[in-house]
Amino acid sequence: MDFSLTDDQVMIRDAAQDFLADKSGSEAVRAAMASEAGFDAAVWQAIGAELGWCAVAVPEELGGMGLGPVELMLIQEQAGYHLLCSPFFSTVCLGTTLLKSLGSDEAQGEFLPKVAEGSSRFASSIACGVEAKAESRSGQWLLNGVVSQVCDAGEDSLLLLFAETDDGAGLFAVPGNAEGVSIVSQTGWDASRRFATVELNDAVAAMRCDDATRLASGGRKANALSRLYVAAEQLGAAQRCLDMTVAYISERKQFGRTIASFQAIKHRCAQMMVQVEGLRSAVYGAAALAADESDVQALSMECAMAKALASDVLFHCAGEAIQLHGGVGFTEEYDPGLYFKRARASKGWLGTPEELRAEIAGVLL
Amino acid sequence: MKVLVSVKRVVDYNVRIQVKGDGSGVNLDGVKMSMNPFDEIAMEEAVRLKEAGTAEEVIAVTIGGDKAEEQLRSALAFGADRAIHVKVNEEVSPLTAARILKAVFEKEQPGLFLMGKQAIDDDNNQTGQMTSALLGIPQATFAGELKIDGNKATVVREVDAGLETIEVDLPAVVTADLRLNEPRYLKLPDIMKAKRKPVETVSMADLGVEAAPGLTVTKTSPPPARAAGIKVKTVDELVAALKDKGLV
Repeated sequence: MDFSLTDDQVMIRDAAQDFLADKSGSEAVRAAMASEAGFDAAVWQAIGAELGWCAVAVPEELGGMGLGPVELMLIQEQAGYHLLCSPFFSTVCLGTTLLKSLGSDEAQGEFLPKVAEGSSRFASSIACGVEAKAESRSGQWLLNGVVSQVCDAGEDSLLLLFAETDDGAGLFAVPGNAEGVSIVSQTGWDASRRFATVELNDAVAAMRCDDATRLASGGRKANALSRLYVAAEQLGAAQRCLDMTVAYISERKQFGRTIASFQAIKHRCAQMMVQVEGLRSAVYGAAALAADESDVQALSMECAMAKALASDVLFHCAGEAIQLHGGVGFTEEYDPGLYFKRARASKGWLGTPEELRAEIAGVLL
Repeated sequence: MKVLVSVKRVVDYNVRIQVKGDGSGVNLDGVKMSMNPFDEIAMEEAVRLKEAGTAEEVIAVTIGGDKAEEQLRSALAFGADRAIHVKVNEEVSPLTAARILKAVFEKEQPGLFLMGKQAIDDDNNQTGQMTSALLGIPQATFAGELKIDGNKATVVREVDAGLETIEVDLPAVVTADLRLNEPRYLKLPDIMKAKRKPVETVSMADLGVEAAPGLTVTKTSPPPARAAGIKVKTVDELVAALKDKGLV
């Protein structure tokens, strides 16, 4: 399999890197974390409406760029590196992936052009299972129930929610400001990404979005791709943990020399690098497979492996970053703690490493 | 008016440079390469002139090996209309670069030649001045502000004494300083459009240019480590310390 990036892909990665290095530094991330919305509206506006990031995965005929999982994976890697606080993950990696994989042509035509131009954003649940119920009354779909772990839910977002109907599960689009929708913010340990519980009380859906023929295999594909994009983000975050640790230990002096010169410290950094590079191969390999539009079974396996490895590697690297920063590593003033919180939180999204290994074993045995 | 902009492939400014062990140069293995930041500023200015209706066409030119085309693609993504790649695999001295750029200028006949004031790899700050001299056209270096009015350009130059405003006849060579503008972030749709824009590849022989007598790099070494400072309590102590070092 050829993992090498094309010139365009390198330029896309570098463009994302340049923008986020300027706009998503440590101070900007902390300001976004402390803000009510959880993200900087100006940065989101730039990402969505000006730089075209939200158009990456939208088909060209719907106003997008028609690019594939590799390009999106590369942006996500940079988003993870810079701990980007933005609804990009929920809108593009989750929402757009869901609609493209299992949405009807009508739903894609209605919502994806708005995402591509940056005028609309999605919020979707990352919880497993279907938590709400939908029933058709007077030509409308009414949703009831409580949906947990809805990523970036807000009144200005379009909620993409699964709900049980008489003929099985369906995907519904519900405006965040619709009557009967109540969004309750969850307090988590990682304030760099917001989750909410959405309570639905006869909330009227704007549209039932799923296509019956795409629902079965499409759901599996969307799940696999979502895991891939989380893994890419974890890869970027793990690389950042390594980079910031190397920078710190190269300056911090003890006993008249930099602590980077001590063998025990070198070995721990080398081990971080071994893990990060192995993870990069897993993530890039899964993305290359996804770009090939190969069979869903193989894609699910590759993405499950990438996500399981990514969760372990980031958790290890963020922990090592704290340890190698010494006494200051766990303080609020230094960044390793931010990455450790993201590592701990993202480990549980879309399958813990243990759950993913159980899935892989189920296919193997 | 056509605007010609030269861009150079250099080690990215974020990279911590490492000198090769044998002192023969800088280690480039696996190092991120980018467009020279001052050339980005020049390119941004050219695109702004086009967006303002002052320029009709922006042409990017680079000198270098195969990989230098990556920087031309960046220039096209910035907004250049087409690009010229002068393929040269050897090291190019400032004078050789100026000869090549002169030939490209004569072929394209632009109304304005924008370039960065210097490249951040060797910091020579010579190519703009040499190109202007070889062409026999005015130069306005270290531009912090540029206004075009008909056949004249008003340039605010950033010089040691402060700011100097000059007026030059066009065509002229204008070299961009840091504060001329803030380059835009590349938009993803523009990156995709860039690959459909034309890139013409030529050799030095095609342009009828011969390399200037070469400069030989005898040794490359990292700058000496900065010595620790001292703290003084009074002005008298400061003056004494400066005298000790022979600085006053």
